[in-house]
Amino acid sequence: MNWLSFLLAGVLVYVAVAVFLVGTVFRVYYWLKVPRSSIRLGIFPQANSQRGRFLQWARDTFLFLQVLDVDRPMWLFVILLHIGGLAAFVGHLRLIQEFTPLATALGKEGMGQFSLISGGIVGIVLLVSVIYLLSRRFKSPYRDLSTPEDYFLLILIFMVLLMGNHLRFFGHVEVEAYRAYVHSLLTFSPEFPVELAESGTRWVLVTHVTLSNLLLIYLPFSKLVHYIGTYAVNLVRSEAR
Amino acid sequence: MAKEKAKSKQEASEKTEKTAGKVDLELDLRGLMCPLPMVRVSQNINKVPVGGVIRAVATDPGSLADIPSWARTTGNEVLKTERDGKDIIFLVKRVK
Amino acid sequence: MNKTELKTITGVLEQGMNRQLLYYLDVCTRCSICKDACHQYVSTGDVLFLPAYRAELIRRVYKKYFTRSGLFLPSLYEARESDDRLLDELYRSTYACTGCRRCMYYCPFSIDTTWVLGVAKAMLIAAGKGAQILTELAGAAVSKGENIDLFKDIMLDLNKETEKELQSLIGDSKATIPIEKEGADILYAALAGVHSILPPSVIFHKAGLNWTLSLFESANYGYFLGDVEKGRIIAKRIVDEAKRLGVKEVVISECGHAYRVMQYLYETWAKEELSFGVTAMVEIIARLIEEGSIEIPSGKERKIVTYHDPCQVGRNAGFYEEPRYVLNQVASNLRELNPSREKNWCCGGGGGLVAQPEFDEFRIKTGERKAEQIKQTRAGLVVSPCENCRLQITALNEKYDMGVKVTGLSDVVANQLIGRDIATSFEAGQTEEPEDED
Repeated sequence: MNWLSFLLAGVLVYVAVAVFLVGTVFRVYYWLKVPRSSIRLGIFPQANSQRGRFLQWARDTFLFLQVLDVDRPMWLFVILLHIGGLAAFVGHLRLIQEFTPLATALGKEGMGQFSLISGGIVGIVLLVSVIYLLSRRFKSPYRDLSTPEDYFLLILIFMVLLMGNHLRFFGHVEVEAYRAYVHSLLTFSPEFPVELAESGTRWVLVTHVTLSNLLLIYLPFSKLVHYIGTYAVNLVRSEAR
Repeated sequence: MAKEKAKSKQEASEKTEKTAGKVDLELDLRGLMCPLPMVRVSQNINKVPVGGVIRAVATDPGSLADIPSWARTTGNEVLKTERDGKDIIFLVKRVK
Repeated sequence: MNKTELKTITGVLEQGMNRQLLYYLDVCTRCSICKDACHQYVSTGDVLFLPAYRAELIRRVYKKYFTRSGLFLPSLYEARESDDRLLDELYRSTYACTGCRRCMYYCPFSIDTTWVLGVAKAMLIAAGKGAQILTELAGAAVSKGENIDLFKDIMLDLNKETEKELQSLIGDSKATIPIEKEGADILYAALAGVHSILPPSVIFHKAGLNWTLSLFESANYGYFLGDVEKGRIIAKRIVDEAKRLGVKEVVISECGHAYRVMQYLYETWAKEELSFGVTAMVEIIARLIEEGSIEIPSGKERKIVTYHDPCQVGRNAGFYEEPRYVLNQVASNLRELNPSREKNWCCGGGGGLVAQPEFDEFRIKTGERKAEQIKQTRAGLVVSPCENCRLQITALNEKYDMGVKVTGLSDVVANQLIGRDIATSFEAGQTEEPEDED
């Protein structure tokens, strides 16, 4: 690894993960530190039982079906973005540990095919969703409401996705090489395997990782803090009895 | 809202000359419900000069407490409150 | 704006900070899904009335003064100095809000814009920019509470007249409307005006309840103004009266926000636990019918009747079934608005808008959805248990030529109990003057 790669795709990864974790804890602490108002802010109708309340909360948090009444495309792309994000996260886990049962079942070739198709679809879906969200913000009234933070985050995510898709579709680097890099990170000795180090793809990877790091660092301090806030805030909705 | 229109001027001035001195503005607030009689008086108080008097006729019983309370908190003065059948008549003086 | 003023305003935000508010300020992604939830945005297309934008105005002050990222990178958030223009925008978008919380229903994060605007109102009040009419109305209500003895005689006089009307309505010369009756079970907090006193009197009398009428109106302009202290004092007038008389239950007239104040806000405002139950008028009517205390004579109204869920009675208090149960007892053709219940559109007059002439034109314009909804049902009678809604729908009726009559739930029930057409109004002086009056 050259020093720039070492800094951006090595050291910065640790910094990002640390900031993300500490930042998340800090945000939760910051919320809990402020006294809550004892006024019950829930709206009706409400479930009568604890179980019912839990189900309602889960529905409000993960499905928010009421949005279908007012903005269907938005609901669709938001759901796709979040499911896609989750799928991408799960897909990346393969770089830590191969999904052995699946790989055995499909064979090396089959697994590669599967990964290309499923990962490819997810990458495209994510990109399209982000483009939708971004393009929406250039029209009124969304434009009047949007702040630079909104564009910044969407462009950042867009760039991460673009680089990721580039690696997927044009990278010509085998999964083993990426896995070797991830393992080097996990053992605190960041290093690119020869295959990666000598490929031009390296710079795409470094950009992908760098931007992801920035996103991770910014996440707890941005509006995207809803990744943790949504659970609490949707609970307030059913708080009235 | 048609009722809100000022009464015919003749009738108005005849009545008020008997009850009190000069009236600068007549407000017919009959039929308006709480809190609108008070709101109309508040809206119109700046239309009379300081020291000027509004004669307001309302039917809403809430105004019996509302208008004097309003006058007390805004530093104006209710010179007189009287009832004439269903009508409640206020003479409100602008103090400042 | 000078530094002291600025400090006053940011001080309000600091003092008024609570966990729910912090969540709301932090998690909004400005996705604007709320835009089509708000009748005011839908009717005007003005971003100032887009719920997320209303809250965003507060968020900008918050980002600027209370968060590190806002301090380092203000331009990233458009974090704003609370300048005069901001206060003007804040005034227009905040006091226009009817507090219906329809946007909260549709928000994927359940953000309660009204709650955020509560802080905006406190800031405006601190900056001396609270809504003038609401300030005067709240001031008058506080003053009435302090000087009640000045008005008592005249109120008792008036009550005698209302009592005579009750007697003639139900044909019972001994019927009374008790005031300050110690040992009563129920204290009924009405609105000023016989239309809010007579129908419940008929119902309570027929049900044989041991009740008494409050000296104070249930309406609370301190709440609309956003002045918690005044709101508390205004509500406290009734609370004190209830304690003094030792009642078990306070029944709030058909007035949405008054119920919200007493049931959901007062205990926190006053830091005291209420020693009596708080019941909405719709609730007690349903209860009296269900337990058989009043019997609705057969012979239901056959004309189309529709029901408008007031935001503070439906979405914000959960009374969806009670009014429908009651209406189905008196009318055979109850037709729902589309949408209704938790999705119902706000009438456009809530939040104290009907009391503020500066919003007259605005609320008629933003009530167009409601007018359209009601017209679609082809109903001749609109029932709604909230004074704000009724005043607004009555105004809409005139402007949009809807050809309906607007009434309350206790009105239709009381009419049914005394054998009149359910749409008859309860107005002062409609019954014959008793002969012994000079």
